[in-house]
Amino acid sequence: MLIIADGKATEVAQRSDDHETLWVRLNELPEATGWQMKPEGACLGELCVPLPEPKRQEWIANTDEDEWLNYSEFADMTGQKYVQDGDVWSLSSIPEVRHSSLESAIAPDFEVTERNGNTLRLSDLRGHKVVLFTWASW
Amino acid sequence: MPVWQELYESIGSDRFEMISVAQDSGGAKAVDKWFDRASLTYRCVIDTTHQISSLFGWVNVPSAAWIDEQGRIVRSNEGTYPGEFKFNFGLGKLRAGDDAFAEATRDWVNHGAESEYVLSSTELAATLRPVTEETLLAEAEFKLALHFKAQKDTKRAQKHFAAAQQLAPDNWCYMRQDWVSRGIAYSDFKTSRLTSYLRKNTEDARFYNRKGLPDEDETRFITPEWIWTSALRRIKQRLRR
Repeated sequence: MLIIADGKATEVAQRSDDHETLWVRLNELPEATGWQMKPEGACLGELCVPLPEPKRQEWIANTDEDEWLNYSEFADMTGQKYVQDGDVWSLSSIPEVRHSSLESAIAPDFEVTERNGNTLRLSDLRGHKVVLFTWASW
Repeated sequence: MPVWQELYESIGSDRFEMISVAQDSGGAKAVDKWFDRASLTYRCVIDTTHQISSLFGWVNVPSAAWIDEQGRIVRSNEGTYPGEFKFNFGLGKLRAGDDAFAEATRDWVNHGAESEYVLSSTELAATLRPVTEETLLAEAEFKLALHFKAQKDTKRAQKHFAAAQQLAPDNWCYMRQDWVSRGIAYSDFKTSRLTSYLRKNTEDARFYNRKGLPDEDETRFITPEWIWTSALRRIKQRLRR
């Protein structure tokens, strides 16, 4: 199963008994979606969404000898959109992240590879003025 | 690209950072010749999944943001040509862009928050596209379309391109990337005309916000005057061979 999110595609395990719902193994969750399960809830960087105990019981399943999160339900709660076609799931950006950049005007952070091979994180350029622009060959 | 390089050099590379991001599912193959031709010294990135447009809510190229020393967006614009340039169109050439954005950028780098082109948070908010269920779903569809396109699964790619375009009809990236990947010609011309139309006539004008730019009310985008003279010249050249 493939998850497309945040500009990359990650191959992950699929729960054998349910192909209609997006179940993600907890150990594959950060790499595939950016979210990480912590005692205080699901966290994406500094943003944490509390997961009350009833929800934890409902959305986290122990099966196929692994712990899985019902990501479909979780995404419905955060407002993140997803589309499935066969074994490929595509996730939208996370509304909370987008909204917070709309409200605070702090530019959404990203990590990209420059053509010269260097890794570039926008937040590493703090202290400098930055002009960011897009273009295309089309 | 050369016009951005000119702007970069005219301001001074030690005074600010410039990041050029190609929104191209074709990757290096599609964009290398543009990057290479221009001997660029600023930061260049190829973004095959249009991730930067998604994050900033941009729906067309070129678009740009100014980000200050604290990481705050102080201006976001669509339709940001840094200067006038010509591009091939059929047998001829078209001209697009103007100097307004470059002048404003120069002013901002020089004067920072004091620059008259820096937008207040209210003004800025009005130039950022709202995040809606439709735009998010469209984004997921578009990324799926790009994936299948890369897998050469044309049928499934088309299905998801179509879904994305229907959900976000004002997103020109979703249309133009699809047109070019299907080999539909004239996408530049169509889009430029339509973009110009949008800027002038619809409420979308606010996203092409020229507020504070030197020729705020003027819309200069494409002038087809070169088509015929340039076409004639090329025909003559061919006949001579």
